[in-house]
Amino acid sequence: MQKLDLKITELDNPEYSRIVDRAEKRIEEAILYAMVSDQTRNSEIEILSFPIAVMMATAANNPFLQRRYALAEAKRAYNILKQESRQKLTEVAQVFNWKMKPAKIDAATSQAAASDFATHFTNYLKNTGNLRESKWKLVNRTMRSGEVYLSKDEAARLLAEEVRAHVEKKLDLKIGFTLPEAVTKRGDRLKQLFLVKKGQMRREEMPKETTVDAFPPCISQLYNMAQTGRHISHIARFALTSFLINSGMTVENVIECFRPASDFSERMTRYQVEHIAGDRGSRTKYIPPRCDTLRTHGVCPGMDELCGKVRHPLAYYRRKLRIIKTQTPTTATRA
Amino acid sequence: MNKISTQEFIQQRFAEYYKQNLSSIQPPTTMEKREFAFLLFKERAMLRHKGFKTAEDFRDLLQNVVPSDVYFSSAYYEKPEEEMDAKGWMGADLIFDIDADHIPTPCNKQHDTWSCKNCGVTGRGTKPEKCPKCGGQKFVDVSWPCPICLGSAKEQTMKLIDVLDEDFGLSLKEMSLAFSGHRGYHVHVEKETIRTLDSIARKEIVDYVLGIGLEPAVYGFEKGEGPKLEDTGWKGRIARGTYEFLLTATQEQLEKAQLKRKTASQIIQQREEIVESWKQKGPWKTLKGIGPDSWEKIIRQAIERQSVKIDTVVTTDVHRLIRLANTLHGETGLKKIEVPVNEIEGFDPLKNAVAFRQGAMTVDVSDAPQFKLGDHVYGPYRNQRVELPTAAAILFLCKGAAKIAEETTHVP
Repeated sequence: MQKLDLKITELDNPEYSRIVDRAEKRIEEAILYAMVSDQTRNSEIEILSFPIAVMMATAANNPFLQRRYALAEAKRAYNILKQESRQKLTEVAQVFNWKMKPAKIDAATSQAAASDFATHFTNYLKNTGNLRESKWKLVNRTMRSGEVYLSKDEAARLLAEEVRAHVEKKLDLKIGFTLPEAVTKRGDRLKQLFLVKKGQMRREEMPKETTVDAFPPCISQLYNMAQTGRHISHIARFALTSFLINSGMTVENVIECFRPASDFSERMTRYQVEHIAGDRGSRTKYIPPRCDTLRTHGVCPGMDELCGKVRHPLAYYRRKLRIIKTQTPTTATRA
Repeated sequence: MNKISTQEFIQQRFAEYYKQNLSSIQPPTTMEKREFAFLLFKERAMLRHKGFKTAEDFRDLLQNVVPSDVYFSSAYYEKPEEEMDAKGWMGADLIFDIDADHIPTPCNKQHDTWSCKNCGVTGRGTKPEKCPKCGGQKFVDVSWPCPICLGSAKEQTMKLIDVLDEDFGLSLKEMSLAFSGHRGYHVHVEKETIRTLDSIARKEIVDYVLGIGLEPAVYGFEKGEGPKLEDTGWKGRIARGTYEFLLTATQEQLEKAQLKRKTASQIIQQREEIVESWKQKGPWKTLKGIGPDSWEKIIRQAIERQSVKIDTVVTTDVHRLIRLANTLHGETGLKKIEVPVNEIEGFDPLKNAVAFRQGAMTVDVSDAPQFKLGDHVYGPYRNQRVELPTAAAILFLCKGAAKIAEETTHVP
């Protein structure tokens, strides 16, 4: 940008319209198709339009739009990266401060036969938090002396995660500049487009009342334990409380759930429940841990059929509510 | 000598210990970024959010307050003395806690006792979920460190060190290992690149160590050619675990693993053949009549045997407080003591962690199981007055299993 002496204030200059058009298009594609097309043949426009798109997305000031845009840019990066040479991937990895090197194949044990790269487990873990397939779990990787083995395609996928984090970080910065009106207008248009699109996406409001019959097995078990006054571990208590709050139960009713415990203290319970509901402290409303976290801490009692299709207890609940609704068109049983 | 309470007496002994051993109490690395916390004798209250710039300041407080337990945060904070939300988390060391409480042990914890707070019924072993008599759920429980429990914890710790070294490539310099002062061991990993791992990343490390979510198919089982004993990572662990299970399991254990009775007897009859065939041709194809279902069960057992029984909550918590080395454990009067990683095998916690090495005293013991400390075995005692070396007496007092005898005079 500096080299071309491109100034933000000149962005509405017709000379730059192709760049600004492409920037807008990038976000539009992200909104509509959750991806950004690869138009690398116009490399100059492609490169210059990126920071402008970032500015537009920042100006749109909508965290959901921004996250969607970052994800779309990451997908684009993945599609490009997976076709690059090993040398190129290694260079990109270096940009993100990775220790990544070609995998040494150990002939004696054919350890890493299908692997192209080895990278440190910390680089690996920092970029797999959002990846849910079981093949990404560290326990399912060949690891030796701190190095995780990756195929070229997998390396591209993890580097794309770095791109996503990078874009998200850029979007998170406060706006320290004023965009020309023509550009701001485009930003506004994109925001409108996003809101329309989002309205079309299935958006389900949680019903006001909690439906016990729709609880996943873990919550159902914990709920029964609470009702019968059994001891519940700290993390399980957190899971149950945050679940009930998110299912629409009032703080008062959640507190009542814990009353049967022999060591029940209304003051302590209220403090904890209000904290989780976001009425205290950091004002964050907490959501329950994901399924795999509950599994790690031994809270998952085993999965039923529907569990296999979701990764979060609340996702289970929403789906089950839908199923119950279709099965009994009249009012479902409620607690 | 004026009459003093047992608690005051313990605190006085702790004060003496800290006075005499002050220079051995080293604050952790980067102390100015850590939160410190002290459990007070008085009302068992926790003094939290303390920060120190120098070792002297820290030792001054230690001597003035004489807490029952001393902790520091695994986390680094911009402002350690602020409330949690305002501390400014910068990162955290990676901590593993192995406690006999999380491991099934051959002693079945028969030395532990519990009593129901509601009806007073008492029992031995791990406390039940519900009182068998009145259904109450609140208990007073006393757990004792025993050589068998501690042996199991040590075995798990050695397995953990093995995983951290071979799989995670952590050097002995990056790990510090310590006996906790009660029933287990702590492994503390300090390494720049690990500090910023979030809770989700640490959960993956926990799952790796415990073998949670492990899919044997990933390691090539579906193709009929499994891992070899010498393979690294979980691949080799599955192979070694399977090998060990098939070679040593009794009929009962095999059936407990839900293998059919017939399959179980077949394995027992074929043990020798399995080993031979394994050496010659590798695993899996060698057993007639053992289908994929049976293999799956065998492999699950192998994973279970190879997994390291760590406390999952400690490792995933990025704000955890940990006991400081060379400070006393309020429940035992033993000290948390660091053990060089390569000396763990010969380490005897009930000898090396003894803090009070001199003197003897008389105490009234209400109930204590047979107990080993140093080279001696004590007890069991029930409602009797005994003269004991200071360390053993303090342990009973800390456990609430004894009171100081009224005419006691402490012999320093």
